[in-house]
Amino acid sequence: MSGTRVSLAGTRIDTAQTIRFSFNGRDYTGHPGDTLASALLANGVRRMARSFKYGRPRGIIGAGAEEPNALVQLGTGALTVPNIKATQAELYDGLVANPTSGWPSLDFDLKSVLGRGSRFMPAGFYSKTFKWPRKLWPLYETVIRKFAGFGSAPTEADPERYDHLHHHVDVLVVGGGACGLLAALQAGQAGLKTLLLDEQNELGGWLLSDTTAQIDGRNSEAYIRAVRAALQDLPHVTVLTRTTAFGMYEQNLVQAVELVQDHLAPTQRNADMPRHRLHKIRAHHVVLATGAIERPLVFGNNDLPGVMTVSAGQTFLQRYGVLVGKAIVLCGTSDLVHDAAELLASAGAKVTVADVRHGAKARSNRYTVMAGYGIAEAHGRGEVSSVRLVPLHAERDEAAGPGTTLACDAVLSSGGLSPTVHLFCHDGGRPVWDESVAAFVVPRTGRKGVACVGAVTGTFELADALAQTTQAMQSVLTSLGKSATLVVPACPSPQRMAARPMFRLPDGKAEGAGAKAFVDYQNDVSAADIELAVRENYHSIEHVKRYTALGFGTDQGKLSNVNGFVITARALKRPVSEVGTTTYRPAYTPVSLGALAGTMREECFDPSRYTAIHASHMARQAALEPVGQWLRPWYFPKPGEDMHAAVNRECLAARNGVAVMDASTLGKIQIDGPDAREFLNRIYSNAWSQLAVGKCRYGLMLDENGMVMDDGVTACIEPDQFYMTTTTGGAARVLNWLERWHQTEWPELKVWMTSVTDHWSTVALVGPKARAVLAKLCPDIDLSPENFKFMDWRAGTVCGLPARVFRISFSGELSYELNVESGYGQALWEAVMEAGAEFDITPYGTETMHVLRAEKGFIIVGQDTDGSMSPLDLDMAWAVGMKKPFSFLGKRSLARSDTARAGRKQLVGLLPEDPHAVLIEGAQIMQSAVAQPDGNNRMLGHVTSSYYSAFLGRSIAMAVVAGGLERKDQTLHVHAHGKVTPVKVSGSVFVDVKGDRQNV
Amino acid sequence: MSKPTLQSPLHAFGLDAQAVAPSALNRVVFSELPHLGYIVLRGKTDDSAFMQGVASVLGQNVPVQPRQVLQTAEGAVLWLSPDEWLLVCPRSRRDAVLAALTAALKGLFAQVVDNSGGFTTLRLAGREHLALLRQLGPYDFESQAIGTLASTVMSKTSVTVVRTDAVGVLLVFRRSFADYLWRLIERTAKPYHPCIAAPTAVADPVFTPLLTA
Repeated sequence: MSGTRVSLAGTRIDTAQTIRFSFNGRDYTGHPGDTLASALLANGVRRMARSFKYGRPRGIIGAGAEEPNALVQLGTGALTVPNIKATQAELYDGLVANPTSGWPSLDFDLKSVLGRGSRFMPAGFYSKTFKWPRKLWPLYETVIRKFAGFGSAPTEADPERYDHLHHHVDVLVVGGGACGLLAALQAGQAGLKTLLLDEQNELGGWLLSDTTAQIDGRNSEAYIRAVRAALQDLPHVTVLTRTTAFGMYEQNLVQAVELVQDHLAPTQRNADMPRHRLHKIRAHHVVLATGAIERPLVFGNNDLPGVMTVSAGQTFLQRYGVLVGKAIVLCGTSDLVHDAAELLASAGAKVTVADVRHGAKARSNRYTVMAGYGIAEAHGRGEVSSVRLVPLHAERDEAAGPGTTLACDAVLSSGGLSPTVHLFCHDGGRPVWDESVAAFVVPRTGRKGVACVGAVTGTFELADALAQTTQAMQSVLTSLGKSATLVVPACPSPQRMAARPMFRLPDGKAEGAGAKAFVDYQNDVSAADIELAVRENYHSIEHVKRYTALGFGTDQGKLSNVNGFVITARALKRPVSEVGTTTYRPAYTPVSLGALAGTMREECFDPSRYTAIHASHMARQAALEPVGQWLRPWYFPKPGEDMHAAVNRECLAARNGVAVMDASTLGKIQIDGPDAREFLNRIYSNAWSQLAVGKCRYGLMLDENGMVMDDGVTACIEPDQFYMTTTTGGAARVLNWLERWHQTEWPELKVWMTSVTDHWSTVALVGPKARAVLAKLCPDIDLSPENFKFMDWRAGTVCGLPARVFRISFSGELSYELNVESGYGQALWEAVMEAGAEFDITPYGTETMHVLRAEKGFIIVGQDTDGSMSPLDLDMAWAVGMKKPFSFLGKRSLARSDTARAGRKQLVGLLPEDPHAVLIEGAQIMQSAVAQPDGNNRMLGHVTSSYYSAFLGRSIAMAVVAGGLERKDQTLHVHAHGKVTPVKVSGSVFVDVKGDRQNV
Repeated sequence: MSKPTLQSPLHAFGLDAQAVAPSALNRVVFSELPHLGYIVLRGKTDDSAFMQGVASVLGQNVPVQPRQVLQTAEGAVLWLSPDEWLLVCPRSRRDAVLAALTAALKGLFAQVVDNSGGFTTLRLAGREHLALLRQLGPYDFESQAIGTLASTVMSKTSVTVVRTDAVGVLLVFRRSFADYLWRLIERTAKPYHPCIAAPTAVADPVFTPLLTA
């Protein structure tokens, strides 16, 4: 026997309409308002899954986010989503769902055959069993992975939209049950800008499952309706349903995901609306009305389909009109079990309540009570068909006799309520065990900026909860400057018999000797596993969690954690208040990656930055390379050329004719002020006091450890004005660095620094014929070598545009960098190309730029340096001005013993013995050809830059080698990918060692 | 050689060729305000010589209240930080204003920097422009008063949002992030059925007049 649909007043489904859906290949019908779970139960379907490790048949246990078993693959094709809980999937016409476990089928699962050997597969068995032999680890992994996991990721791109929405409110109320509704109403009526969220499809929370509540003379339904209408009338109050607040962060930022269209059939969805919306909410005050989740009792075979929580049984009946069984046994520790028993009995079920409290009595004669009894274990093949009840000792958690067997087709258990504390604890804090309610709770007084109301504080009785809510909201109003006095709604307080907290029900046997009693269903963690973890000396609750996998799953232990903590405490013989809980982390329930991405998809995922000249490069078929966020031309292949052919041609053009590169991406900073020179002296390692107007100088920037962090050419524009350039990738970091030192250490220095990176476009005109090309474009600058020397700059007019011309060179050739305002950048480039056409001007990109500078031994910060190279390591002592009057950044650290010692890695050149062997960047360098390092054969360093030089007709490389500067002409060996290449150590300048070519 | 043409940071998108008259269907409307002058001004507000020097060129003091926008004789002045302002002026006045400020502040502890190549401005208007802003960035745009600006972030880039009337806002942003920001805005705005319009169709009282001056 199993579930049936019954007619009942106050349900939330529309029985006048019928919806069709399919599960596991079979067709069924349901009603609007159903979840997939309620509709399947109404159709008598019980088996939903096979358990993770043992392959045991599993059914629905809960009615909401706490469900651990009923994971389905929802939808097909591009819209399919794995591991949706059937209890959270709103039914729509045409819905298709499939199980995510059971192979080859739910009914016959191969893993369950292995699962019969479950006593050999307790917690921890993976790491003990699959240890040997080591070379089989990849095989073990492949096989275990095939058995593990639940649903499948989609294989097609997601065609739907997702977006974000930011909110700024006075009060955010999380949870729209009785207390949340009250809190939102009180805040809204006080004139506060209020946002109310609820994860369910409609407001009401537990009131939807308990229609008998009486609030201000209204029953549950009437109360919900009245508050909803009142909230709708308040213009500064917004209500969102189907919206789960999944994380609370610093400064009261709350993130929530709204399932905007998941409840609609795909063909009914509006393409202009998102599927999921991520709400980012900043509230002056957050009110947590997140309620509590009932925990089941732990007993033998408590995972049989048909065994559920009491609140689930009550919810399926009252909300969805589904009676989960005809002969139902309830087992509980408090009066909660009697509320449900009454309801189930009046719907026509034969109901027996095993109440663990010895004095318990039935509230009416519609059902029977066995007082002082508990469930030892459930029995059944594939689903529950009977339970063995045992009498309990009056004080101790022990069986007091063999007990009796009762036939039944559904079992509902209740161990009490666990407050949903997660959001409050996302700051890393822990809830506190309150012995009086046997629960981990958050404080009734909340904390600064966060109020806690209702069941989440352990205030479980409705009348008390409404009073506590009102008190908390009074404080919220006061702190937000509102003086209204709030009134507690009238609500009766029924007499309650004290609860008897129990967790693991005794079966009269030692733990592990009887039927398996599950604590965490999704990961097949039993009570015996927890005791095993403690015996194996895992005593921290965090270790017990990780050893057993308690609380790991998509349900994040909502039904299992507290039971697990208590069982651990009992095994440790310590109070559960001491053992505590594990860490609460966002997200409370799974969040789609689409929601997190919003519209930051494809080209909007990360900024791609382009120079003003980019269209010219694309028109010339440039291949592009990312440099930080910039996309720069990498090389310009002619038809039929691969990269090497293109780069060889470009390099030869730069050294023999004329070539041109877009250098606009470099960071540019304008520095002004009477102390500008002094500031440069302090942040660069070299000297700036004597740099005259019209002159440029290469600057080397060290960090506080004396290591090179950036470099670039800086020019003196006016006596008190400098134009600094940085590496492309370092621009923002360098400006922050300069600001940091100025603002925190030298605020007395009168200097300004402002970024002009985007204002200027830079076209580098390079090669022996560069002057000839420039002369065609620039009528008003004397370009003669005597009057415009290397490292000079001049202002003038280039193609009719005001320009700065810097005679600086990263290639070692005659070179002019032309700077114009970026709005004219492309015009300048095209004019240069046109003027250079008669000289066969060749555009080039970053690859050729790298080769040219490597031929000259110029470093690239971040490639030849890695934050651990000092200027002396780089053979750049000339760039260190030790005689500057004020210290410079990094100076002091150069004297550190490790920084000053002999034998450090130093920058050298390498020439492979085979001139056509191009070394691999990153390759390790050793003395010998033997790859095994030992005391005599150390790893000496690595290759930092490596290229084929078309100009030299051979390969070259730069490397850092221990004591490299003393190793000139030595033969070393470069190892990579199992190959060895002998090389000779050389100087790092390969072309034009005297530097004549840049001075022509 | 023909006179080189000035290209705005959004040149690649050819926005002005797409301009139409906005209809009721368009719940947001965009218009680029291209080719303005952008001058960065640095100085200390407690330096009366600096304040007077600037006032002699602009006709009034730079704003000292955080996030203020002022309309002056030479354009809009945006307060960016306690010692930084952005002056937005007509392109035709850029050279003259640069020279005038440089001369007026000569010998003083101040900085005048031409950054005209580095920025552009995009008008965002339409009856749901505020909802779109709330989808783009974390700032409390609903509370932003007329005459104020906010330098904030939109996804992975920064932008200055200026409000000079109730009809819409002006977004001021950097050239090298313009491609990314425009694509992000276009993608996010799709459900609002956006259109591109001529600046005069969605004119604001402070920036738009700078186009024709």
